[in-house]
Amino acid sequence: MDNKKYAFITEKDFKGLVTGLIKEYKVFGTIKKDGFPAFAGITSFDELELFQSPTHLSAKEFLFPQRETLLKFNIQNKTHEPVIESGEQVIIGMHSCDIHALTLMDRVFAAGTPDPNYLSRRAKTIIIGTECFPDKFCFCKSVGTMTVEEGFDIFLHKLKKGFLVRTGSVKGEEILSRLTKSRPAAFKEIKEVEALQKVKEGSFITTLDAPAEELPGIYEKSDNSPVWDRIGAICYGCGSCNHVCPTCYCFDIKDEVKANLKEGERVRVWDGCMVEDFAKVAGDHNFRGLRANRLKHRFNRKFRYLTGKFDALFCVGCGRCSRTCLVNINIAEITNELIREHNKK
Amino acid sequence: MNLYENIIKNNNHTETPSPYVPVMGTVERVTRVTEHERLFVIAPSNKELLNYCPGQFYMVGLPGYGEAPISITSGPGQEKEFEFCIRAVGNVTNALHRLRKGDTVFIRGPFGTGFNLEEMKGKDILFVAGGIGIVPMRSLIKAVLNDTKSYGRLSLIYGSRNPDDILYKEEFEEWKAKGLDMRLTVDKPHPTWKGNVGVVTTLIPKIEVDPARTIGVIIGPPVMYKFVILSFRDKKITDDKIFVSLERRMKCGVGKCGHCQINSSYVCQEGPVYRLKDLHSLPEAI
Repeated sequence: MDNKKYAFITEKDFKGLVTGLIKEYKVFGTIKKDGFPAFAGITSFDELELFQSPTHLSAKEFLFPQRETLLKFNIQNKTHEPVIESGEQVIIGMHSCDIHALTLMDRVFAAGTPDPNYLSRRAKTIIIGTECFPDKFCFCKSVGTMTVEEGFDIFLHKLKKGFLVRTGSVKGEEILSRLTKSRPAAFKEIKEVEALQKVKEGSFITTLDAPAEELPGIYEKSDNSPVWDRIGAICYGCGSCNHVCPTCYCFDIKDEVKANLKEGERVRVWDGCMVEDFAKVAGDHNFRGLRANRLKHRFNRKFRYLTGKFDALFCVGCGRCSRTCLVNINIAEITNELIREHNKK
Repeated sequence: MNLYENIIKNNNHTETPSPYVPVMGTVERVTRVTEHERLFVIAPSNKELLNYCPGQFYMVGLPGYGEAPISITSGPGQEKEFEFCIRAVGNVTNALHRLRKGDTVFIRGPFGTGFNLEEMKGKDILFVAGGIGIVPMRSLIKAVLNDTKSYGRLSLIYGSRNPDDILYKEEFEEWKAKGLDMRLTVDKPHPTWKGNVGVVTTLIPKIEVDPARTIGVIIGPPVMYKFVILSFRDKKITDDKIFVSLERRMKCGVGKCGHCQINSSYVCQEGPVYRLKDLHSLPEAI
C-alpha cells in the first residue's frame, strides 16, 4: 500500500466530517431499520451506524429511483418538458461491492444514448464508502469486487482507533480538507488495514469454485442444464431479486395523468425480468413465460450477457438476491452447480 | 483518472438531451384497412424523423396513454410524411385508433437496424410475410419495387388468417405490375375465396429458387419463423442469406430498459432485423 494515498482521521474528525456534510447536503447513511442495516436519510451524526454486512436494499434507489419523472406533459398545450430530478447528495456507508455496482450502472447509463437523468444525479452524488466483513451470503472475493479503487469520493477503513481514509476524486480531497482535519497515515495504521484485509479475505463462507474470468464461458454452456427447471419449479417469480440487486436496472415507462386530465407525467419505474409479464407483447405472446427461462435470463445477465458489452461481470457478489429469496435460491450455489456440471463434461 | 472522474463528474449532464422527449406529428390521413388495423399518414414536425430505413421502428405515443413500438410501413425517401399501420391490441394502440385527421401524435425514433438494401442488390428476393408481418415488409417491398432494375426476381408469399385480414389489397395490382410475383394464402377461407388455403410454408415449394442468388426475408408471428426457416433450408438458402425481423416488448428504444432483450442482444439496438446466422448464438430468438 502506498502511504501517500492514505490519510488518517480520528473518530471525532469523522463526526465532524459527517456533521459538516449534513449541513451542506442531503445525506443518506446506513441506519438500523427493523433490526437490519438500511440506507435512509439522516439529519444527525448519531443516526448513522456503520455496518459490516450489506444493507437489504442496495443504494441504487438514490441514483436510479424506484419511480422518477422523465417528462411532464400537457395534453391541452401538446407540450412535453424533460424533467431531471437531481440534487446534491451524499451516500455514506456503501461497501466495496456496492461501489463496483455503481461503476457498472455508470457504464450502462453513459453507454450509447446517454441517460441524463441518471448521469446528472450521479455527478451530484458524493460517495463515502466504508469497509465491510463478509456474512454467509457474501462472495465478492470470487467476483473480484472485494476491494475498490474507483467510483467513490472517500473510502473509510475503520481502525481500532479512528479511520484510514482514501480519496478517489478531486471532490473527495476537497471535502476532506475542508470539513475535517486529517493527517497522512502512519505506517502502522496502513499495516493494521492490511492485516484486517487478510482476515477478511480468509473469512468467506461462500466462494465460487471457478475463477471469475471463466464464469461467462461456463454460463454459455449451461443453457440446457437441469438446474433451470429445478429452480424454476420453486421460484415465485416475485422479482425480489431484481429489486434488491445493485446492478438490476431494467425499467418500465408509464404515464400518469393528474385529476384535471390535462397535465401528467411520463415516469420511469423499476421493472424486473423475473416478473411474469416482463417480456410479454400485445396479443399476449410471452417470450419468457416460464420461470425457468426467466431465471436463466437473469443469471446469464449477471454472468454472461452484459459481460460481453461492458467487459465486467454484473454480479458483484453482494449476496442480496440469495439473502432475500423466499425459496432460498442462492446465486452462488447455483453458479457452483453449473461449474460442477461444466467440469464433469 | 478513471471513468467516474472523467465521464461522470466532469460533465454537465443536465445539458444532455433527454432521449425520452418525443417529436410532435400531425395525422394527415387515417384509413381503415381491416377491422383491426388502421393506416396513419403522419407528418412529423421535425423532418429528421423521416430519415429511416425499411425495418426500423418508432415509439408512437399519446400523453396519458404511453408509447408503443410501431414499425415503419412506408417506403424510404419520404419528404413530408410517413406511414404507420397500427393494429388495436393494447391501451396505446386503441387510443391511437381514435385519432382523426388533424390530431396530434407524438413520436420518437427511428430505432434499431433496418434491412441492408445494398446487400440485396443483384439478388433474387423471396419475401415471406405472415399476418401483420406484411406491415414492416411493405416498407422493404416498396424500396425494392422502386428500383426493380437493381434486383433479380422478386417473390412474395403472404399468409393471412382469412381474406378479410389481408392488408394492402388495393396495392397488389401495382406491386404485380412492377414485377413482384405475389402468392396469397389464408388459413380460413370464405366460400368466395379462390386462392390458396393453408400456412405460408405450403407455397414455398412452388417457388423456383436459385440458392446461390436468393435472399430470404421472413416477418410474421413468432410461431411462423421456425417453419419458414425449415422450408428455406429445403430450398438450400443458407442462414447468412436469410433475414428476419423480430418483435419484442419495447419501452425505452435506447438500449436501457431491458424489455426487448433476446439473450445478450437488445432488439432495439441490434435488431429488429437480424441475419439468421447471427441468431445461432441467441437461442431465445425463434
